[in-house]
Amino acid sequence: MSTLKSETKDSKPVMTDLKGQTLITLQTLKEDNPASLATYEKLGGYEQLKRLVTNKVKAVEVINQVKLSGLRGRGGAGFPTGLKWSFMPRYYDGTKYLVCNTDEGEPGTFKDRDIIRYNPHQLIEGMAIAAYTLGAGVGYNYIHGEIWREYEIFEAALAEARAAGYIGQNLFGTHFNFELYAVHGYGAYICGEETALIESIEGKKGQPRFKPPFPASYGVFGKPTNVNNTESFASIPWILQHGGQAFADLGVAGSGGSKLFSVSGHVEKPGNYEVNMGMPFTELLAMAGGIWKGRQLKAVIPGGPSTAVMPASAILDATMDYNGLSKAGSSLGAGSLIVMDETTCMVKTLKRLSYFFYEESCGQCTPCREGTGWVYRVIKRITEGNGKMEDLDLLTDVSNNISGRTICALGDAAATPVLSFIKHFRPEFEYYIQHGKSMVDGQ
Amino acid sequence: MLKIEIDGKPVEVDHGTTIIDAADKLGVAIPRFCYHKKLSVAANCRMCLVEVEKFGKPLPACATPVAEGMKIFTRSKAAVQAQQSVMEFLLINHPLDCPICDQGGECDLQDVAVGYGASGSRYTEEKRVVFNKNIGPLISTDMTRCIQCTRCVRFLKEVGGMQELGMVGRGEHAEITAYVDQSVNSELSGNIIDLCPVGALTNKPFRYSARSWELVRRPSIAPHDSMGSHIEVHVKDDKVMRVLPREKESINECWLSDRDRYSYEGLNSPDRLKVPMIKHHGEWQETDWKTALEYAAGQIKDITTEHGSDALGALVSPNSTMEEGYLIKELVHGLGCGNVDYRLRQTDFRLDGKRVGTPWMGCNIDEIEKLDRILLIGSNIRNEHPLLAQRFRKAVDNGAELSIISPLDNNPLMDIAHKIIVTPNDIVNVLAQILKAMSKLQKLSLCLPPQLSELLEQIHVRPNTEAMAESLVGLGETVNLIAPKVGIFLGNMALSAPRFTEMYSLAEAIGGVSGAKGGILPAAANSTGMHLLGVMPASTGMHARAMLEVPRKAYLLLNIEPELDCQHAALARSAMEKADCVVALTAYKSKALDHATVLLPIAPFTETSGTFMSMEGRIQSFKAVVKPLGECRPAWKVLRVLANTLGLQGFDFESSEEVKLKIFDGEKPSDFARSRLNNNMKELVEIETKIKSPGLQRVGEVPQYEADPIVRRSEPLRKTKYNIKRLVRLHPDEMRAYDLVEGDMVLVTQDKGSTVLPVRPDAHVAPGCVRVAAAHEDTLGLGDLMGDISIEKITQEQADVFKSKQMEAQN
Amino acid sequence: MFKQMKNTLGSLMLIELLKGMAVTGRYFFARKITIQYPEERTPQSNRFRGLHALRRYPNGEERCIACKLCEAVCPAMAITIESEQRDDNTRRTTRYDIDLTKCIFCGLCEESCPVDSIVETRIFDYHGEQRGDLLYTKEMLLAVGDKHEKQIAADRAQDKNYR
Repeated sequence: MSTLKSETKDSKPVMTDLKGQTLITLQTLKEDNPASLATYEKLGGYEQLKRLVTNKVKAVEVINQVKLSGLRGRGGAGFPTGLKWSFMPRYYDGTKYLVCNTDEGEPGTFKDRDIIRYNPHQLIEGMAIAAYTLGAGVGYNYIHGEIWREYEIFEAALAEARAAGYIGQNLFGTHFNFELYAVHGYGAYICGEETALIESIEGKKGQPRFKPPFPASYGVFGKPTNVNNTESFASIPWILQHGGQAFADLGVAGSGGSKLFSVSGHVEKPGNYEVNMGMPFTELLAMAGGIWKGRQLKAVIPGGPSTAVMPASAILDATMDYNGLSKAGSSLGAGSLIVMDETTCMVKTLKRLSYFFYEESCGQCTPCREGTGWVYRVIKRITEGNGKMEDLDLLTDVSNNISGRTICALGDAAATPVLSFIKHFRPEFEYYIQHGKSMVDGQ
Repeated sequence: MLKIEIDGKPVEVDHGTTIIDAADKLGVAIPRFCYHKKLSVAANCRMCLVEVEKFGKPLPACATPVAEGMKIFTRSKAAVQAQQSVMEFLLINHPLDCPICDQGGECDLQDVAVGYGASGSRYTEEKRVVFNKNIGPLISTDMTRCIQCTRCVRFLKEVGGMQELGMVGRGEHAEITAYVDQSVNSELSGNIIDLCPVGALTNKPFRYSARSWELVRRPSIAPHDSMGSHIEVHVKDDKVMRVLPREKESINECWLSDRDRYSYEGLNSPDRLKVPMIKHHGEWQETDWKTALEYAAGQIKDITTEHGSDALGALVSPNSTMEEGYLIKELVHGLGCGNVDYRLRQTDFRLDGKRVGTPWMGCNIDEIEKLDRILLIGSNIRNEHPLLAQRFRKAVDNGAELSIISPLDNNPLMDIAHKIIVTPNDIVNVLAQILKAMSKLQKLSLCLPPQLSELLEQIHVRPNTEAMAESLVGLGETVNLIAPKVGIFLGNMALSAPRFTEMYSLAEAIGGVSGAKGGILPAAANSTGMHLLGVMPASTGMHARAMLEVPRKAYLLLNIEPELDCQHAALARSAMEKADCVVALTAYKSKALDHATVLLPIAPFTETSGTFMSMEGRIQSFKAVVKPLGECRPAWKVLRVLANTLGLQGFDFESSEEVKLKIFDGEKPSDFARSRLNNNMKELVEIETKIKSPGLQRVGEVPQYEADPIVRRSEPLRKTKYNIKRLVRLHPDEMRAYDLVEGDMVLVTQDKGSTVLPVRPDAHVAPGCVRVAAAHEDTLGLGDLMGDISIEKITQEQADVFKSKQMEAQN
Repeated sequence: MFKQMKNTLGSLMLIELLKGMAVTGRYFFARKITIQYPEERTPQSNRFRGLHALRRYPNGEERCIACKLCEAVCPAMAITIESEQRDDNTRRTTRYDIDLTKCIFCGLCEESCPVDSIVETRIFDYHGEQRGDLLYTKEMLLAVGDKHEKQIAADRAQDKNYR
């Protein structure tokens, strides 16, 4: 889908163009009232859950299907979901937990909220299937604090599902229980990190925990917990309906299925596009209407600010999948493309990005707490015309010192844009330092 | 055991050991800030990053458990580069104000910066400034220096039991702060000063008064409670500048209570008595030692010759050393008098002569944390033994079930499984109920002495008591224990209760039935030692209480302020007033000693050598850390010369060590103690379980910062929240019964004395009790700490009249 | 014999006298190097290490923060400092004594001072009439500083590139 005009829950969004998209997590978009239970049920919703639960399908079979599908974590790290599920302790005396991470707070990332907005029941079914497979009794969906309407939609969908008997006690007349709750965060980016998210669910300050122990052995309230991204969970019902192989076949080797790409920036039609993995970047760009105002492409951040920026020359030949992008020198991340045209000042862009990480560092580890502020201040000084040539090496050095030295990945995330911007656009930085103004000023 | 290699040195360590522990074991130094062996691992400072073979990025040594065959490099290029980069990050926002920072010279950050810091900074941007917090009179803050290691936060939460500090804000704006407008009130708060690796939290009373390198560090023993904490006294120019804990794992670990840490301020008090004084025609006159001693000896001699040796009474502080105790006992006995006692805050002496040995704690301090079931009787543990409470807290954290029987429902900052809040007299009945319930549960009723069995027949066991008994025999909420380790302890309130004998006997019986360890938690530094020495009335002598009830003609006081340190303030006061001669060996020229005849200045614990015996029977000697102030002399010397002047034989000691040798008579002190410490009784005493007191009963605990003359004079401790205004505290039900509202003035009467105080409802006080704290000027007119008391509502005018009359009487 | 004659002749001709006079005469006309102390003084280095002084900031606030580094570094143990927290919460000295009879004028105190408070001035001709006069207290040292601040500041400014 793209170019959404309407925003209310029950009305049908006005779709301008669904051509070329493979709708899986947003399959209800083709229908009226996409978010309603009736719509989802019409498309075969909750049947997989019912089949698994009533037929007492073995967990191992479900996990095998997920493994076969080649589904990799859609939250950004790309860890194979089936493998992650197999880490959950199978025999555990006590409650196990399931957590859905809808805390998408990274600039340019807006895919999970659309799943909740247009297809919440598929997420609920996906979580229920996961709960059945992993033996979890309680689930939480942690929704980013800055998105209110989606939180309300999800609560409404939960009520619908509960009333219809899809979550709750003794589901489908069996002994399977699954309680699912929505948790609304307060908007901290760090709570998208799974252990910080767990702390936040527990009512503490959202700060990452040191790993190991991993959530699979010590998660919510110290109990085994599985944390997955919204899009990963929402893909599960389709995988079980059509088989893991069918999902894998949609994509390319190493990246199964389709993926939601949030395209933003200097394109004609920004929005979410659910397309098969392995699509060439140029095709995706064409779907989004190409660069706006007939300008030239300068650079793309392919997976959100925590992934490396790619200059036009590198991205134009790349395909949109895990291996394709890492070969091209970046990574898929959460699939949030920020497209920048030739008039973009990379120095100012980096200033904005580094401010984000400076503001969102949780303050726990020294390198990230102190380093993000240092980096931001130096870049800010450059944009104010007080830069020095040594600053570029200083920035590289400081970023290298942050990266890999912290408890969670925010340190690495903060360092990546700095390193990649300076690597690919060094002349632009040097120009700014020498002239005290941007290279693209006046263009 | 896992075989690993650190910097090429092989070492074998247990499963689950972290790299930093293994390195410490091997003696390989890894820099650290947030890691502390006694606190949970935070892994947030990142200073301890080390290189581990086969790992792409450096790992924090404090949080990484070792694995078989791990090869760790702490000094490799990658490791040092990581450590240096963290050091750089730590320093960019740290103010380089070492010259004015009190931590300068003993600062972890400074030390590590020497090893890992660069000589210049690459940081040229603005530095962060954090506003200081006022967290009380003991700790001063300089929050800009904070490196967010969260040691203080973790200490207060994990060891202190109450999270009073936390980190608020994100990223660079993260700062350590207390709750809004709140100070840090933990009685262990001073430890966060030691924990702070930088100068963010420093010692407020000590602030800016000396640098660490000027101080001479001398070991000593803490003199305010009976734990025997090891302390290090820091001295400059013969003045005690501050006190720090000295690590002793089996006693105080690496902590120290605020009382032991800040009491030294009392040593530098202007109240200190510097020269001997004689009262001449009602006026104090300074004099020299010879005159004073001869005068004192003459007075004592005159009175004993005239009225018989029994006319003398000696009251000894249980905070005095064993040497002093021994000498005063020998001196009094030498005069043919048996009236000597150290149990100043005890009312019930019925156990005298019925004990097999010296009562003690019944186990070692470090055994407490291994207990499964704990029963605390009449103890406000945080007030009485602040640091010992921490051991109990550890036990509870380890899963022990804590039961409390007390007249006060004070929060010990740990989970309480069962509690029964009753009047001091009713504690006896509750204990009898527990004994009955337990003997039934254990099917041991036949083993009890018939006398007790008969008594128990009349007892009705209530459900809450039964639950407590079940817990003590090992039936738990989740897990039943076959052979639980049980500890039963009697605290200060039990010790000074009029029914102590019953409480003690029943506790002993319960202990017998449940196989419990335990005993009493004596209040003062040398209570156990004094009992061991027998600083108690001889067979014909009078105990502390009797000496005051039947006033003596002459008193010999060692290190006490009678009306503040004795059970019955009013009695103590009148006894001193009536006496013909009071010879006081004291470190302070106290108002409480106005009725004395001779004041002999003695040296407090920092200025004399001596020996204390702790609650666990540990005999610890210490030396003087500074020279005696002015003309002060160690009390053992004064007693020796006084005895010589009195013409007594056998007082030829040249040093306190000689006295100690004499006390233990050539035996090894620990053997001497082992053969004499025993909580058992020779025979059962008569137990009365149905004590009907007609009116209210006072609960007069001694606030922790009023416990002895030194602590009372510590200004910073007086400024803490524990130094509360004296109030009458009543259970809200009692308030209604007496038609009182908060703030009403109440005439409190005990025996013949009375005082006027405002009243306040307090749900933590057992119904039937009146909580009026002791050891304070306002309550000097009152009597027994745990005695009967009556209250009467009066108007403000009547209160004013009462007060003005009191003033007149004093003048 | 010949030698004796030469000596006698020399004496008669006043040669020694003339030699001596020549020396005198040479110096009589030579450039004078004698300094007429105390009216005249030898030139001094701006790094001269003489009598100590405690300096103030231009606003009159004393510089010394009682860090006691000078006390710690002093090899002759000539400095005694006591400190306290002043009413405005700053760290200040209550006592700053230099025993000039112990001082060896090594300049380490000056070098260790983080705030340029304790300095050694160019003054070398101070005196005391009794031993106690050479025990300089904080007030005396501050007075020296106040009196010579201009010179002290100029000396430090001249040396600033090397410090």
